[in-house]
Amino acid sequence: MSTTVPPREKTRQAARAGKAAPARTVRRGTSRHSQRWLAWAFLAPTILGMGLFTLIPIVASVVLAFFRWDIISAPTFVGLDNFAEVAQDPTVRVSFLNTIVFVVVAVALQLGLALALAIMVQEKLPAWLRVFFRSAFFFPLILSAASVSIFMRYLFNEQFGVVNWLLSLVGIPAVPWLTTPGGSAAVVILVYVWQNFGFSFLLFIGGLASIPVETYEAASIDGATGWRKHVHVTLPLLSPTTLVASVMAIISALQVFDQPYVLTRGGPGDSTRTAVMVIFESAFQRLEFGQASAIGVLLTLIIMGITAVQFRLSKRFVFYQ
Amino acid sequence: MTGAINGHLRQITRRTALGALGAGIIGASVASWPRLTGTDIPGRGDNSLSIAILGTAADAAARQRAIDAFSRIHPEIKVKVQAIQAVDWKDFFTKILTMVAAGTPPDVVYVATEGAQLFAEKLAHPLDDYIRRDAADMADFFSDVHPSLVEAFMYKGSLYQLPMDWNAANMYYNTAAFAEAGLDRPADDWTHLDFRSNLAAMKKARPSDFTPYYWTNRLFGGVVPWLYANDTSFLKETRSTGGDWLWDGFYANDPSRSLRSGGYQWLEPNATDGRVFESFDYLRGLVKDGLGVRPEEGGGNSLVGLFASNRIGTTPAGGYWVQGLHEAGMGENGFDVQFFPRWKTQRHQFGTAGYAMMKTAKDKDAAWEWIKFSSSREAMELIFPNPATTPARRSMVNADLYAGKGPAHWKVFYDTLDRFPTTGPIPAPPQQAAVETALMKNVSLAVSGDEQQLKQALASMQRDLEIALRRQP
Repeated sequence: MSTTVPPREKTRQAARAGKAAPARTVRRGTSRHSQRWLAWAFLAPTILGMGLFTLIPIVASVVLAFFRWDIISAPTFVGLDNFAEVAQDPTVRVSFLNTIVFVVVAVALQLGLALALAIMVQEKLPAWLRVFFRSAFFFPLILSAASVSIFMRYLFNEQFGVVNWLLSLVGIPAVPWLTTPGGSAAVVILVYVWQNFGFSFLLFIGGLASIPVETYEAASIDGATGWRKHVHVTLPLLSPTTLVASVMAIISALQVFDQPYVLTRGGPGDSTRTAVMVIFESAFQRLEFGQASAIGVLLTLIIMGITAVQFRLSKRFVFYQ
Repeated sequence: MTGAINGHLRQITRRTALGALGAGIIGASVASWPRLTGTDIPGRGDNSLSIAILGTAADAAARQRAIDAFSRIHPEIKVKVQAIQAVDWKDFFTKILTMVAAGTPPDVVYVATEGAQLFAEKLAHPLDDYIRRDAADMADFFSDVHPSLVEAFMYKGSLYQLPMDWNAANMYYNTAAFAEAGLDRPADDWTHLDFRSNLAAMKKARPSDFTPYYWTNRLFGGVVPWLYANDTSFLKETRSTGGDWLWDGFYANDPSRSLRSGGYQWLEPNATDGRVFESFDYLRGLVKDGLGVRPEEGGGNSLVGLFASNRIGTTPAGGYWVQGLHEAGMGENGFDVQFFPRWKTQRHQFGTAGYAMMKTAKDKDAAWEWIKFSSSREAMELIFPNPATTPARRSMVNADLYAGKGPAHWKVFYDTLDRFPTTGPIPAPPQQAAVETALMKNVSLAVSGDEQQLKQALASMQRDLEIALRRQP
């Protein structure tokens, strides 16, 4: 039951433990065995949680996509019927189109705003104000999206909302924010970006902090100033952070639900109806759990596809130091 | 062996010991903490009758006096009321369905018109045999309740619920705004054109921070009352045969006996009907001229506050509004109520609610005893102590209920049924959720643009309704 310990490891152990080093060396086999068990013990809750609450529901959802089930009656196998119905449903098509448009606009705004503010906060503000703004910009993210949306609904009310009241002070007539397709889409995007840009902002703050000052100094010596420094130094060196931020922002935006559901219920018409809203309506309002699962499967495939493309493209556009 | 033990003992440091002690304390606290168990789920673990209602824990507590009174009569039946919080009835029904799927369905559920046919079709047990058996006891109830309310719970000739409370879409108006505009109380048979001219007068008197007509985009009180007044609807309304056993047994001498049927049916869409267009066009005109709001989808949460703060001239609502306005500080003379304006008819829209016995109820006889008791005057007085709704029993809608709260013309509430016996329920087939979505999503577009947009919105509504009604409930 002897164990072989590399000499360097022995030295390290001896240095750490002083006189106790030889004794530890003797128990190493048992220790490694128990460490393995300890590792599994620590991992077990996560594995169990992932299995119960992520893996099994995913598998169940995929299986359910091939059944018709209304909760009350027993499920019946329908093959690909749910997918065929989904493909023919104009509401589903519109909702996916809305989701794509939403992702493009909201993610662009979210990342652009987060990056601009991160650079401003990191460069222009004193240290004590930086801390304040980091918290302030992150704060909306910890609020409930439903509560925020209810509040925003009051703010953007056409007749009695504060936003229109403020606009009226400068002579702008009342805007039907939540009752016209353009207005409601704008409010949904605005509320979503306001609430979510804080996360991207923090990622960019971390990324900016990791860029060595010497790189900027070298760029200055080479004659780079202001914008050029950011274009040629900040953006390339921030590209790994941008990749992570964009992947997370896109996945999150593809699953948008709370804001359009509370603000507009997907209307007027289908103008703000998103893919996840249609999943919710199919499952919990129309009791078509099979069809809802089919839409969910399609959405998952889209998310996986977009993420794969992003990582594929990252080989060209992301620079690792 | 001893050496090995000693070796392990040597590893127990003070930090480890303190950690173990801390973990022990936390573990003991968690273990001794009072927590939910299976028996906390109503109906599981004991033989009590579980009753689900829409509301908060406070609403469940408000039922306690009725439960106590029931327990005095039926000490052998243990009752548990579970209040389920939900945004609206649609949300509430979804939660009930998830309870069914989880294998813990309640025995009795308080169901509104919106879900009456869904429950009748899938989940509820008809009450016919119980009503026939206890006909003598039930005679008092039916003699005090308008048949229109009862018919709303008829489905294919069987009765699934007894109406407990109800509300029609009458027209509330702000008396100060009317007076300021030089308007008198509208006549009982005022028309949609009179209504429009009243709105214009109020708009002239209060040009800013005031909306003459505020309405919401919902199945109740939205566009439907206007459709009913114009003798149409967005769904074709037909009636089932049957139900004579009830009508002949309890309403043989009622003047509206000949109107009664085996229940309403909504099998086809009707959004492209000319009168539907006409009704929407009228509302579009109100919006265009700034007399009415463009309705938000699912709006209405802030309505009581806005009305109580004198920023709204008129709005459709039922008797349930009185308590809300009173609590919001509106004086009894600050508002009043009138029948909905006349168009081709003066048919009103109403919604009602009552207990449905689930097919899965463990003890159906006990469930019936609760339903029967709840329909008694004694129980209803305990359950509805204030005008937060309109009791189904005519005798309870009296001056005492509205004393100190208004409105002056509270008789309008029950007179709606007597004066207009064709007044009908919220159009809610078993596919109500999909139907409501199809209606709501097209209303804002229909009333917000030009005539072409209105036609497109109604065509879209027709298509959405066809899809919704094609689906199995």
